[in-house]
Amino acid sequence: MTDRAPIRVIIADDHPLVLEGVRACLETYDHIEILGTATTGKAALDLARRTAPDIAILDINMPEMNGLDATEQFRETVPETRLLILSMHDDREYIASALQAGARGYILKDVSTEEMVAAIEAIHRGGTYFSAGVDAFASLAEDPATDTALTTREQTILLCLADGKSNKDIARELDISVRTVETHRKNLKRKLGISSTAGLTRYVIENGLGRA
Amino acid sequence: MTLRQKILLLATIPLLVAVAVIMAVVNRQAEAVSAQEIALFEKTMLAAKKAELLNYMSLAETSIEHLTGIPRNSSAEDVIEAQTRAKQILNSLTFGEDGYFFVYDLDGTSVVHPKQGWRVGQNYLDLRDKDDRPVIRNLIAAAKAGGGFTRYAWEQPSRGDVTDKIGYAVLIEPWGWMMGTGIYIDDVITQAAAARAGVDARIRQTFLLIGGITLATVLAVFATWIVINIRESRLADAKLQALAQKVTDAQEDERGRVARELHDSISQILVSVKYMLQRARRAPDTGEALGKAEENLNLAITEVRRISHDLRPGLLDDLGLSRALQNLGEEFATRTGIAVDVQTTAFKNLLPDDVKTALYRIAQEALTNVERHAGASRVELGVTHGQEGVVLKITDDGCGFDPAGLRASRKPVGIGLKNMAERIARHGGKLSIDSNAEGTGLRAWLPRGVLRSGGAVAAPRAAEPATDAAWPAE
Repeated sequence: MTDRAPIRVIIADDHPLVLEGVRACLETYDHIEILGTATTGKAALDLARRTAPDIAILDINMPEMNGLDATEQFRETVPETRLLILSMHDDREYIASALQAGARGYILKDVSTEEMVAAIEAIHRGGTYFSAGVDAFASLAEDPATDTALTTREQTILLCLADGKSNKDIARELDISVRTVETHRKNLKRKLGISSTAGLTRYVIENGLGRA
Repeated sequence: MTLRQKILLLATIPLLVAVAVIMAVVNRQAEAVSAQEIALFEKTMLAAKKAELLNYMSLAETSIEHLTGIPRNSSAEDVIEAQTRAKQILNSLTFGEDGYFFVYDLDGTSVVHPKQGWRVGQNYLDLRDKDDRPVIRNLIAAAKAGGGFTRYAWEQPSRGDVTDKIGYAVLIEPWGWMMGTGIYIDDVITQAAAARAGVDARIRQTFLLIGGITLATVLAVFATWIVINIRESRLADAKLQALAQKVTDAQEDERGRVARELHDSISQILVSVKYMLQRARRAPDTGEALGKAEENLNLAITEVRRISHDLRPGLLDDLGLSRALQNLGEEFATRTGIAVDVQTTAFKNLLPDDVKTALYRIAQEALTNVERHAGASRVELGVTHGQEGVVLKITDDGCGFDPAGLRASRKPVGIGLKNMAERIARHGGKLSIDSNAEGTGLRAWLPRGVLRSGGAVAAPRAAEPATDAAWPAE
């Protein structure tokens, strides 16, 4: 792989020791280039905007936007960057949420360096990667029929729509494109089985979340 | 104002009002009755006095009858002679201490006055007493009318001051005289005043009695109130202490458990890792020792994850209540073999952390109870929110129990239920349990106010659009 351009990576974790450890391990590989590190989801997003990395490795527990919400916003802001979640948690709910948010891989923090590199390579090739113990849940979580839970972004947009805001208003408020809003809106209708915007508004009110 | 204070007011105010009304009525009635009594008494006394006066008058008339009755054609000398003798008789005729007869001619000039001789010869037609009554005029009018009573004030000879008296006057027609006598009624007035004073004293006594009884009653009400208050606050203190003790015990238990787990698993594993690393530094087969160390380190990581998950599921903070309940249900099903159906909402992060934790712990406790006591084969666990608020429901098809009996008991399950109820009450909600032989349904309800409203969520976004600040890292 040395003859090809290196895989450009950023790492985000709120524990400096972990950051240092991961960085130390990955730096020994020539085909991986560490562009930078961040300790919050927000900082990671800023870093990605500047450097446009191939892959972002994100921890879930981080202050100022956790790894899952950050993943969602990476998908909107720097869609070329692929997301790999590096987490302590092996619960199905975490993995499902990560996939839902748009992550391409999920590995546990106790995996070997070799496995971490394998994951990076697999995702860079356009595939997905789940470490042992996680892969059993991967297919389940991806099935939209079994999971109608909204992502953070979708919920935000649903509440905005219920407030009577237009796609354009929402796009401006959230600093994303109108097309992205449109996509979220479609996903909302699909997930909730609702066909009209009026129906979405009614759904919000029925759930006790309307503006008082 | 507390409920207790309101009850106190409700107890005392009507009492005081009733007493005030009773006092007013008693006062009025007593006054009316006494006024009647005194009037009657006065009337009787005066009637007696009048009868007495008539007697005296007829005595006086009789005693001068032989003089006034001389023939009309008698000579002037004879008439003057008769008049002089009549004056003498009347001057000497007295009764009692202050009883005497007086004579005025019809022009108001004094003719006879045994006690105040200096008046004789003077005209008193226009004399008025202290109450502005034309005394002599009235007497003459009464005499002219054929004899009658008049009331007026006159100087009482024995006392030397002016008092009320009743006069009776008759006309001695042939001589143009008005003859009168009077009787002082100071004794009647004094006795009536004494009677009035007696009545007043009785009324005052009644008032004091009613007031005393009222005061005693009000004091009794207050005393009872204070006793109840003290008792209840003592009970509450005792309850609070028991609760504090329970919390402390639970904390100690938990700390003990965590300390044991840390010592038994983590520190043993880490010690073994240390030995492996030490060996790797000296021994030739470095790779094998390092591999073993790494393996054990992974074991330690897994253990830490397990302990931390048991202490507080990170899921609840990271992914919200719905996901945490799903996870709880899955783990429960795996551990117990009881089928769990979890119904959750599409939304997340709608509840404040403490509410979220309370609902999660209630679900956890309820599932523990199902596992230990219900003998159920199936559990439904669901959380919903809507206009009516937030509802957490846990239903099983187990053997059921008597919630009321259990809640009162000191058994751990009873305490567990009480804790759940207290937990939910702290956030303004309610816990209800419906149990019979077909199963048990536990319902925890919270008012809609605990939900973050759509507006509150939307507001901060405008300020920081790119970072989605409204949904903090959870």
